[in-house]
Amino acid sequence: MISIASFLFKLTFAFCALSVLAYLLSLLIKKVVLAKVATWILVFAFFLLTGNLLPAVFNPAGLMSIASRDFFTFCAWSVAAAYLVFQFKTKTRILGAFVSPIILLLLIIAAGTAADKSLVPADLRSWLTFAHLIPTIGGEALFVIASCAGAMFLIQNSSLKHKKLSALGRLLPSLHDLDRINHHGLLWGFLLLTLGIFAGAAFAVSAWDKGWPTDPKIIWTFAVWVTYGFLLHQRLAIGWRGARMALLSCAVFIIFLFSYLAVKICFATVHNFI
Amino acid sequence: MMIILTGLNHKTAPLAVREKLLAACTEKTDLLSELLALPGVREVMHLATCNRVEILAAVKGQDQTTQALRSFVAQSAGITQDEATDCVYTYCDEAAVLHLFRVTSSLDSMIMGETQILGQVKEAYRQALEKHATGALMNRLLHRAFRTAKRVRTETAIAANPVSVSFAAVELAKKIFGNLSGKKVLLIGAGEMAELTGTHLLGNGVQDIIIANRSNAQASILAEKFHGEAVMLADIEEKLAAVDIVVSSTGATKYILSVDAIRQSLTRRKNRPLLLIDIAMPRDIEPAAGELENVYLYNIDNLQDIVDENLQSRKREARLAEAIIEEEVRKYCDWVRELEAVPTIVSLRAMAEAIVQAEIAKAAPWLETMKDEERQKVQALVNAVVNKLLHNPVAALKEESADFGSAHITAVTRQLFQLDE
Repeated sequence: MISIASFLFKLTFAFCALSVLAYLLSLLIKKVVLAKVATWILVFAFFLLTGNLLPAVFNPAGLMSIASRDFFTFCAWSVAAAYLVFQFKTKTRILGAFVSPIILLLLIIAAGTAADKSLVPADLRSWLTFAHLIPTIGGEALFVIASCAGAMFLIQNSSLKHKKLSALGRLLPSLHDLDRINHHGLLWGFLLLTLGIFAGAAFAVSAWDKGWPTDPKIIWTFAVWVTYGFLLHQRLAIGWRGARMALLSCAVFIIFLFSYLAVKICFATVHNFI
Repeated sequence: MMIILTGLNHKTAPLAVREKLLAACTEKTDLLSELLALPGVREVMHLATCNRVEILAAVKGQDQTTQALRSFVAQSAGITQDEATDCVYTYCDEAAVLHLFRVTSSLDSMIMGETQILGQVKEAYRQALEKHATGALMNRLLHRAFRTAKRVRTETAIAANPVSVSFAAVELAKKIFGNLSGKKVLLIGAGEMAELTGTHLLGNGVQDIIIANRSNAQASILAEKFHGEAVMLADIEEKLAAVDIVVSSTGATKYILSVDAIRQSLTRRKNRPLLLIDIAMPRDIEPAAGELENVYLYNIDNLQDIVDENLQSRKREARLAEAIIEEEVRKYCDWVRELEAVPTIVSLRAMAEAIVQAEIAKAAPWLETMKDEERQKVQALVNAVVNKLLHNPVAALKEESADFGSAHITAVTRQLFQLDE
């Protein structure tokens, strides 16, 4: 059983790597056709990723006994799913050149973690933890897409502001499409993150007495949530958009990523297992 | 049969000569019949555009006919034989095919990669078809030319990037707004350039056009044409909040749109992107407006730079196109050469078959005394002998036909086997 699972994981990894190569090559030779091929490779890799997760879903020991490797595979799956949904809605294929390396990176992390060790400690397993994890990961996957679209927006914007229409500029989608992906990514990501935070808080209230609100990771996550909420407010109420939103969403995501690593390395938290 | 192409174009003849020839060609209603009446001309068509007038013909008896066609062109253009030597070109066979394919693929056009020429060649061919002026040789030639043009268009990026200022403006608008449907345009100044850009924008899905001009009468005329709205110059700042694209081309000596006016409109338009295209000389829009967030300002030089760069990239793509054309020319020429050998091979086989049938008929009385099985064996034997005998001559004909000079071996074969009698 293990060997089949490990073979499937390797196969998935190979196809993800292949799609990254095809996407990057399409950027290099400036041909959209190759990005189309890369997208179909990624679609296939997505089905393989789903196949990787099936044993965890049908695990008799329950969903929350998910192994570390499966958890990171799930992160990769979420980013791939979010990207493919946007891709089929907006046809901005070249976005994959930015997103697919992140999917591959998550799979590399997954490969480095144990395939048979449970991720969540036994005392934290509950349906609320499940309701906390899934939307939070989904929300963060959407933030990844929003940030990638933001980064592409900044590149395209700078080429248009410099009065140039380079081959790369022609390949990248229009500012309007990128801004829309950025906005929808932030909006739906924020909603999912909110759901996740609520479920997490509900679990904390029921399982722990006090002290959890001052947990470093919870404080950081809350700060990120507030910042994204602020950005959305500025967009919807005041009309911040374009380059400003693109830059801010990228910046917030990078700060969020650093804070995640900093907290993980420097502090003891109730989220030590992730 | 040979293929001859003769004529003149924008590179070889001045406008005055082209004009005269074009007029002479379009005036004559039975030009094709006149050309077909020339000695040796079997198939013919003529292409007449403002940049070139060319006659393409399949002829027998090359020298005399070529001269007749050249004189015809020179006479129609009203130029002397000496002048014709300088500006009328003539290509034969492979060179003629190459020239036609290059013309159809728009490699010989004034603006390389433009799409109009293909339509013009198709129209010229349609006219020739109508008059039954073309035959097997040229029908295939023209179909190959269209196929080549299509390959060049799809396999190279020769027509990919715009090479006119107004199309470059449309491309920029698409890179900013994605889809142009539902977008609003403000044209400031009702000049020719504004009109052209307006037409292209409308053709690409723009919904509303507002025209502002110093003379209200001119604005109204253009507004009627575009089904738009005409406003006074004084009202443009107010309209800025509602539009997405501004094209300015007035003759004003001072800025018509100040950076302050644009900055103020941004709040009212909730930071929706604004594309400003300033094709006026001197400029109409204060250059500092380009620094504003969500504002994209392009002046005539910026657009010209994009156009120049695109022209350069077309030239690079042209090299790929030449390779495709070369390949297609080779394919066509191979077909023509084989065509000459094929009827000879067919006649040769038919002659052999006729001899076999005649001899079998003669031998019928004694063949009938045989058993069925034995009769079939005799028939097979005769066939085998004939096939073996013909094999080498047929193979030689096929092989030679893939090379130049198949006419000679074809002629010899016809003489040896008396195929023409």
